Amino acid sequence: MKKPSQFDAIVVGAGPSGNACAYTLAKAGLKVLQIERGEYPGSKNVQGAILYSDALEKIIPDFRDDAPLERHIIEQRVWVLDDNSFVGTHYRSDDYNKPPYNRYTIIRAQFDKWFSSKVREAGALLICETTVNHLIMDGDQVVGVQCDREAGDVYADVVIMADGVNSTLARKAGFHGEIKDSNVALAVKEILFMPEDTIRQRFNIGEEEGVVIEMVGKITDGMMGTGFLYTNKESLTIGIGCMLGDFKGSVNKTSPYALLEKLKQHPSIAPLIQGGEMKEYAAHLIPEGGFYAIPKVYGNGWMIVGDSGGFVNAVHREGSNLAMTTGRLAAETVIAAKAAGKPMSEAVLKNYKTELDKSFVMKDLHKYRDMPEVFHKNNQFFTTYPELVSKAAHKMFTVDGVDKKTKEREIFSSFRTSRSLTGLVGDAVKLWRAFR
Amino acid sequence: MNAVAVNVEEKLFQNRYRVDAGRPHIQIKDPEICANDCAQKSCTYVCPASCYKAEGNGSVTLITDGCLECGSCRIICSEFTNVNWEYPRGGHGILFKFG
Repeated sequence: MKKPSQFDAIVVGAGPSGNACAYTLAKAGLKVLQIERGEYPGSKNVQGAILYSDALEKIIPDFRDDAPLERHIIEQRVWVLDDNSFVGTHYRSDDYNKPPYNRYTIIRAQFDKWFSSKVREAGALLICETTVNHLIMDGDQVVGVQCDREAGDVYADVVIMADGVNSTLARKAGFHGEIKDSNVALAVKEILFMPEDTIRQRFNIGEEEGVVIEMVGKITDGMMGTGFLYTNKESLTIGIGCMLGDFKGSVNKTSPYALLEKLKQHPSIAPLIQGGEMKEYAAHLIPEGGFYAIPKVYGNGWMIVGDSGGFVNAVHREGSNLAMTTGRLAAETVIAAKAAGKPMSEAVLKNYKTELDKSFVMKDLHKYRDMPEVFHKNNQFFTTYPELVSKAAHKMFTVDGVDKKTKEREIFSSFRTSRSLTGLVGDAVKLWRAFR
Repeated sequence: MNAVAVNVEEKLFQNRYRVDAGRPHIQIKDPEICANDCAQKSCTYVCPASCYKAEGNGSVTLITDGCLECGSCRIICSEFTNVNWEYPRGGHGILFKFG
């Protein structure tokens, strides 16, 4: 029997997508219940974390006034590492020092708490320390949620699942199947505290300025993955992630914490993090399957937003901005339907997908749709090439009486020996086709 | 890769948890399957909190107290789907200070 709705909308989860959604709905005057399983919003949430301003600006234009931001990024480093060295490109520009800043490092537990305070100011009701166990169905219509507290059944016209990468609710309801281990990355990270001055000196930055280092190469022990090092105000975040299926099939049975420890001990990294006091160790899955891995994200009385829907652009390391955008678009779909007096049916909520397709979210995911497959089937991009690049640099920069022409020949022949000429050309074509 | 000695417990010690004593949110459905049918036991090295331990007699034991709630163990157990995986009850489990 259908119970009368107590809320216009229930949002499950208080991460970036859930907060963006609940905020937008509440601002429009809808009666919103948001349910979070953590002690406070942020206490279950893990990210690198880089915040891209644009997606949040579209929701809270003046967020910079009081959001807890660590450092704005003025320098991006990309490093290719072998066991003893790195070859890298650094891009630093004073243009990134002109407000409004494009991206910031953030600490999610603090940021999510702040975002949530905005959601509550906007008028949404937030209940924490409550896990949603199941959706409540009436035929094929989602009509509410069943929580793990007494009298925990709550009814609403629409339920928006912002419940994170494991997408527990939609999976239990049979809206999509289990996640494939080839479609998620497992990342681990630590936060290391050290004096602000030390960070400024080591990274050659001013008070508010920040540096990010993204890393590939032997650090992933042959698996497809990347490492990262971010500067916060008084701490560094260092982490590494690889495809979960690669971990599972790892020849050396390499554990994620062993990779992280090895990364911390790398001679190019160790001096940067030396003396840092480790205050937390975290792990998280990142949905990196891209375009083809995105499940159906709407139906009768339900929508999926954020990581729960697989909305991550792995190539550009973007996730929370897609999360916020999907949360906002789902909310706008509900608001428009309400205004038009329409029911929360699949046919009406399809508009969410239409708006997604028109936005950068699906355009970018579509552009890189073949990338996960190309990288998955060609792990030379994460193994052979980084090593060749390191060796080439070492050869070229070592002054040892060998003439440069001979060095060039040796480098080229090292590439040919490792990958063959057809392999090299094939790899170039694959990358070009996946990136274009 | 060269073996790096890592003490996961030391890392987890820095974390804040509210353990739901006596109510583990993850369970091995049938321990016999781990002991007899699963050769790889990938959970014992993939779990980032090292909650799964391979015992000398071939069995696998699970203690969820240090769980980081990532979901990896459930997903990698795709051949046997031998993991009952739920989030902890509201307010319990890992409580990230920084995330």
